[in-house]
Amino acid sequence: MKNLALSALALASLSATVANAMEVAFERDSSLPLIQLNVAVKAGSVTDPQGQLGLTNFMGEMLLRGTRLRTKEQIDLALDQMGAALSVETRAESMILRGSVLASQIDPFLKLVGEIVTQPSFPENEVRKLKSEVVSGILEELGNDSTLAGRRFNKHLFRGHPYGNPVLGTIKNVEQLNRELIQKHYDRIVRDKLLLIVGAGDTDLERIQRFGEELARLRPDSGASEGAMTSAARPENPSARRLVLIDKPDRTQTQIHAGQVGVRMTDREFFPLYLGNYAFGGGSFSARMMTEIRAKRGWSYGAYSYFKHGLQPRSWQFHLFPASKYTPEALGHTLQMVQDLKAKGITSEEFEFARRSLVNSSGFMYNTPKKRVENKLLERTLELPDGFMKSYGAELSKVSLESVNRALADFLRPEILTITVLGTASSLKAPLAKAAGVAEDKVEVVPYTEE
Amino acid sequence: MTTKTKKTLIAAALSALPPLLFACAAKTVKAPDEEPAREAIPLVGSIKVNRFQLDNGLRLLVVEDHSSPTLAYHTWFRVGSRDETPGRTGLAHLFEHMMFKETKNLKDGEFDRILEGAGAEGENAFTSRDYTAYVQEMPRDKLELIAKLESDRMVNLVINDQAFKTETEVVQNERRFRQENNPDGLMYQALYEVAFTKHPYRWPVIGYQQDLDSMRGQDGVDFYRAFYSPNHATIVIVGDVTPAEALATVKKHYAAIPGQPTPAQTIQPEPPQTAPRHKTLKLNMKNEKLLMGYRAPSVHHEDIPALNLLQAVLSGGKSSRLHRALVETGIAGSIEAYSSDEKDPSLFIIGANLQQGRKAAQAEAAILRELARLARQPIGDKELEKARNVLEFAFYSGLESNSEKARFLGHFEAVGQGFELGLNIQRRALAVNALELQAVAKRYFENKNRTVITGVTK
Repeated sequence: MKNLALSALALASLSATVANAMEVAFERDSSLPLIQLNVAVKAGSVTDPQGQLGLTNFMGEMLLRGTRLRTKEQIDLALDQMGAALSVETRAESMILRGSVLASQIDPFLKLVGEIVTQPSFPENEVRKLKSEVVSGILEELGNDSTLAGRRFNKHLFRGHPYGNPVLGTIKNVEQLNRELIQKHYDRIVRDKLLLIVGAGDTDLERIQRFGEELARLRPDSGASEGAMTSAARPENPSARRLVLIDKPDRTQTQIHAGQVGVRMTDREFFPLYLGNYAFGGGSFSARMMTEIRAKRGWSYGAYSYFKHGLQPRSWQFHLFPASKYTPEALGHTLQMVQDLKAKGITSEEFEFARRSLVNSSGFMYNTPKKRVENKLLERTLELPDGFMKSYGAELSKVSLESVNRALADFLRPEILTITVLGTASSLKAPLAKAAGVAEDKVEVVPYTEE
Repeated sequence: MTTKTKKTLIAAALSALPPLLFACAAKTVKAPDEEPAREAIPLVGSIKVNRFQLDNGLRLLVVEDHSSPTLAYHTWFRVGSRDETPGRTGLAHLFEHMMFKETKNLKDGEFDRILEGAGAEGENAFTSRDYTAYVQEMPRDKLELIAKLESDRMVNLVINDQAFKTETEVVQNERRFRQENNPDGLMYQALYEVAFTKHPYRWPVIGYQQDLDSMRGQDGVDFYRAFYSPNHATIVIVGDVTPAEALATVKKHYAAIPGQPTPAQTIQPEPPQTAPRHKTLKLNMKNEKLLMGYRAPSVHHEDIPALNLLQAVLSGGKSSRLHRALVETGIAGSIEAYSSDEKDPSLFIIGANLQQGRKAAQAEAAILRELARLARQPIGDKELEKARNVLEFAFYSGLESNSEKARFLGHFEAVGQGFELGLNIQRRALAVNALELQAVAKRYFENKNRTVITGVTK
């Protein structure tokens, strides 16, 4: 029988450094007449200067809105005529141009992408239009409880640290962006030293490498990106437990997020903590949170815990969304579960199940070209070792119950958790304060419209 | 890093699926002797679909792909909220939740635990108006295990009032999440409630709170008996398996399960709409929203390929007509259009999220202008070619992984009797000409066919 986690998947891939450390990685895959191609910049929203939050994302979006040779309208038309898609994704530590195209159109597509990356024009009228769209997007989030709650949790956990900044920026900051700032940011971070090309699909590998070489030639670093790669400082946990109530009227359901600063994926304790988290709330239906909160009590449709990762430790958090009437009880119960997890760890039965489950499913982390492309992007933008994402199965199989429980005991800090609840404050403030063990006059109530 | 949403429902159509239609009667290959005959039908490129049918009516589709030692295993039951009755809305979806509970052979929670321990990925389920699907990916050596577990819950589920009550509470929380506290959920619910007056598509897949409150275990038992049997299901297996191995495994675990009579149902047809309808909702949000639905035909109808191509013309890419008319002009932040390819006549939907300070009425006027232009004059060759490319790109993009292939096959198998319907729709859509497109636009984008839901800020 094949063990998926240990099977070698046949790859026909190219990985080459074309200039000044710029890397091109491409996997040939002819199963469909499609190609996906990502051009990543290893600098994301943490490079947004104070007062210019959202600048990296805005600059990335502006790349698609005009070059020296084409207007936005012409770019849009060219992409649709080819049967192609091109969009921007901005993360904390990277900005990625995500492209995909019918294989028959790869040459004009590469030409267009090259033009977009190396000859953007940042037209004033498009700056104005994009501002309106981004501001509308931020306002749209106010109507979506789940997105809004996640964004507010980040802000309150990281309190001024760049990891707490919204990728889209704030309305006030976005409205102040201008062409000059965008051009300056582009000149700084879109440089071959920070560029990375990763893709897969039905084309010859040399074509992609030639494309990479051309980008590197046209965007030489020459010291321009100095400082852009400097990671944000390591975030610190707050000194005491906080409860922030994001007040939104008429809620029949709340969104609870609570957590603390997390770990780096390269930290020694990462794999024991990853396994411990899986047993607690990491996506399994058999995890403690799902069993206690959903299956036994029916309090919430979902109940999860998870890590977010970055070059620096980001967050470990749990999330549930109970009916308003169950919220205090559900929060109190979950906080006690975190306390118990720290004090007693997971059981040997939970450990065996989690390890077996994670090792057996680890092959699904890299079983398609698309996933392997995502892995490579993650490895390169978070400075992980080559093959890190493929190593999960082997690494997890080495973890012991003792190491998991020791790591959980050292890592978890229930006494300093940041707790955010999006709900209707008038009925929830007092019972939530009690459930969280926070004095009622210390509960911070903020309107949901406040950025 | 990512949360896993399981046991969920598809409220809207599978808009990512390649477009629609063209009824092609599925060739059901009956088992002549010991070995059911096999029919291999090309899907895309060299990929073929092998079709079988067991004596008990169970359909099996197998796609062999050895590029990784994994497989997708889907079970699609041809039952959805369309098959519910007033007073029992939400039962199909609630029952989907119950399928993860106790069976005669497994205690509550063991199904998930065994699958997860075996390395299952993406274990999930979803309910739509027309079907309910149970999906997962497995390491290839777990085929036997998944067939055993799925066949067990097809026939041995234990339903009691207590389990039903707990799961009803979970579903009510899901309802709060997807509908009550979600402006988009409320808008979609209103659209179908206003556009339909008789047909079951008028109620939300997740059901109404009062109906969920009143349900008991016996409702689940009756539903299970009526719809969860091999002759109401299709199993789709895509991945590292041979057709012979898949067939032998499925026969071993399912052949002894008897088929059940299909319940006599009277699904009320929706009467023709004779005038436009409108409803305004006041919602907790900062920007207005607009949702429009035009009465559209069943997925089997010959006009569906043209409607799919119209979808590409209207909102396929940033150079599409509605994107240019609404987003580029600063009226809307986003716009989408799609034909909800469902078993019975349904809706062609256009939705817009307005930009700050803009009114839904402005978006509605701009959309109506574009629809009128489509009906007034045929589109040019270049635009037609562009729409075809957009459609082709979407089609291939929806078939990349084992799961995506299984989803395409399962969807059309459930709404259209055979997955060939999906292939024919795609093929026909690429051949629709400008005059046909114009004629279809005229036929469906009529004022009297329109329902409009406007979401305004409270």
